[in-house]
Amino acid sequence: MRTLKTSEAAAVLNVSPNTLRAWERRFGYPKPQRTAGKHRLYTHGEVAALRDALQEGLSISSAISRARESLSADTSVLVGALQSFELDRADAAMEAALALRSVERSVEEVLLPSVNELGERHGFDSAPWAFAARWAADWLQRAQRLAPPPMRPAAVLIGDATRDDLDPDALALRALQLFSVRSGARVLVLPVTGVAGLVDVLRAFEPQVVVVAGAEAPDDQVARWAYRVRSTAGALQMTLFRRGRVERGRTAGRQLAESPGEAHRQILDLLDGRARDAPVRAHDEPTLMPRRRRANA
Amino acid sequence: MSGRPQLVALPGYADRRDDVQFCGHCGRAAAIDIAAPASRVCGRCEMGLLIGAPSELAPAPSDPFLLVDSTLSVCGLSALAEELLGVVETKAVNRHINELLVPADAEASGPGDLVNLLVHAARGDGEVHDVVLRPTDEYGIRYWARIGPCGPPRAALMVLGDGSTIRKPSL
Repeated sequence: MRTLKTSEAAAVLNVSPNTLRAWERRFGYPKPQRTAGKHRLYTHGEVAALRDALQEGLSISSAISRARESLSADTSVLVGALQSFELDRADAAMEAALALRSVERSVEEVLLPSVNELGERHGFDSAPWAFAARWAADWLQRAQRLAPPPMRPAAVLIGDATRDDLDPDALALRALQLFSVRSGARVLVLPVTGVAGLVDVLRAFEPQVVVVAGAEAPDDQVARWAYRVRSTAGALQMTLFRRGRVERGRTAGRQLAESPGEAHRQILDLLDGRARDAPVRAHDEPTLMPRRRRANA
Repeated sequence: MSGRPQLVALPGYADRRDDVQFCGHCGRAAAIDIAAPASRVCGRCEMGLLIGAPSELAPAPSDPFLLVDSTLSVCGLSALAEELLGVVETKAVNRHINELLVPADAEASGPGDLVNLLVHAARGDGEVHDVVLRPTDEYGIRYWARIGPCGPPRAALMVLGDGSTIRKPSL
């Protein structure tokens, strides 16, 4: 995927860098990624789509709407491919998405919404959902195999509290795992059901951040696992990802965002020590209450 | 002269040299001395594209206005129109114009007349028409508006006013 710096993107659109930043604030588009130094990096596909739309547009809003439509075509192609059980076409749709976006955004904007749409359409206990979820899990695993080796001295332990591979939260967990691996951290996923031998694993892995992901495992099971982790590895940052509804007064950890990308950024902040002193907002209150499951799950 | 139908070339908006150029967001006249006019982006507010319209139709900076395409979808809303109608441009774009504005006197003239005016204007009909409108689902509020062509690309421009500059309404 080709990326552009702010000045390059501005030159493609023939506007000033300030204009580009003003559009990002007002319209949320084009939406840049950030480099390690927090500089903006725009995907060429997004900028090119906007350039074409601006030439035929009457307003910035309508041009951005048109550019977004042209990019969202990948989602409908993927939904169509999975709907007709064509794995090759599904892979090709993701390849097309990757030509315009980063891996992270392809996962968040194309893969997860497409698979979720199939779940909403057919039910999260249906065969089409199972087919799509298995393909998505396989795609995420393949992407992870292509990730560079760990570069950071950071280790993230994810406690898997999902039901199984077909739990809708399991895909989000895999996405979070992929994003963390791609950012150079070491990541280990362990089920919260197993505490036997956990001490040895933790001593070898030495995690800095612990994430409990998923809403299926009961509170007492998660609490036992978390207690064992903390008693072995010390006072670690304990965070919750898609764990469930907020309940005040129960101390368990910081609630991460629902989106894997945003949750990943929060984890990076924790690893960098920047969020350590941040005030806890109401929705950051800890919880161990399982989330209400989807109606058709 | 034969009775056969003939194709007649109509002037596009790029050919209309006498049009006034204004920003589709702030409504101010295009300033060629300010950065980036080549991109059609307003160099003053940076939030709108430069649009051309006949001088008798083009809005003053204090006039709220809307841009509507030939499918009657809202394509743009000036900052003042956002304030007047209580809707931000990003939420209004791609909505049907009748979701925002309808003719004020529904008995004297149906919504079809407004639709016809907008469609003709969006197709490049050079005439400017005056109409009286009201917000959809609201009564007791009236806006005088003038409707005519603008572009590029071709669209209808609906300039809302207080009636002082409006001639006899068409509707």
